[in-house]
Amino acid sequence: MSDRKDRLTITVDPHLSAYAEQLVKEGKAPSVSAVFNDALAEKARRDRRALDRLRETAAQADPAKVSRMMAHIDAQAAALPKR
Amino acid sequence: MSEGTRTVSTPYVLDVSVLTAVARADAGVTSLILDLDARGQPLVLPALAVAAASLDARSEDADDALRGLEQLGSAEVAPLRDAEQAVRLAAVIARTGLDPWDAHVAAVADTAICPILTLAGEKWREHSADLDEPLHIIEIADPGEARGDSGPIA
Repeated sequence: MSDRKDRLTITVDPHLSAYAEQLVKEGKAPSVSAVFNDALAEKARRDRRALDRLRETAAQADPAKVSRMMAHIDAQAAALPKR
Repeated sequence: MSEGTRTVSTPYVLDVSVLTAVARADAGVTSLILDLDARGQPLVLPALAVAAASLDARSEDADDALRGLEQLGSAEVAPLRDAEQAVRLAAVIARTGLDPWDAHVAAVADTAICPILTLAGEKWREHSADLDEPLHIIEIADPGEARGDSGPIA
């Protein structure tokens, strides 16, 4: 997490805003901003993990076979009527 | 086609068979989808088809893979947005007898006039003429393999 922060204005669902304020009040988060920063960081981590998983799977493929399948797709696409 | 001359491609609508293959970590199909994305080929993921693929796999890894598809730069989820689309989906189910997730694929493809990218070409060919406009099918297959081999494509 960076020390430098950008300022932005967001609107959120009231129950999420209340939950963030509750976390701060209970001393579980330093600020409402930190709660939303952490939540977004978690989403970014999850999205990266999802993409990484796809790339790891794809890396196990036989490139020659994938090329043949791609050529087969392109041939079928070229034969489709134009929109 | 070179980068310089590429025009906007007609989106491909991914069906349940393709999404299920990705969810099951089929390396060949996953690699193919990533290559299509890298070429800038628009890919449409009907939301109900994503649900069907998740239902088939029932694992965190599978759901990660499906979420990963949505992160691709050329991919877009087609939701069931409003009553109009829900009624349209019901009409497609009634006309074709397809499951709701397959019918959502057909409805998206029919509405947007986009080909369906599938591993199950035969099934779609059976339903190709069920709607007002014929469905167009692009089948994922390795021409180097004997026909009828329905095993993993990796």
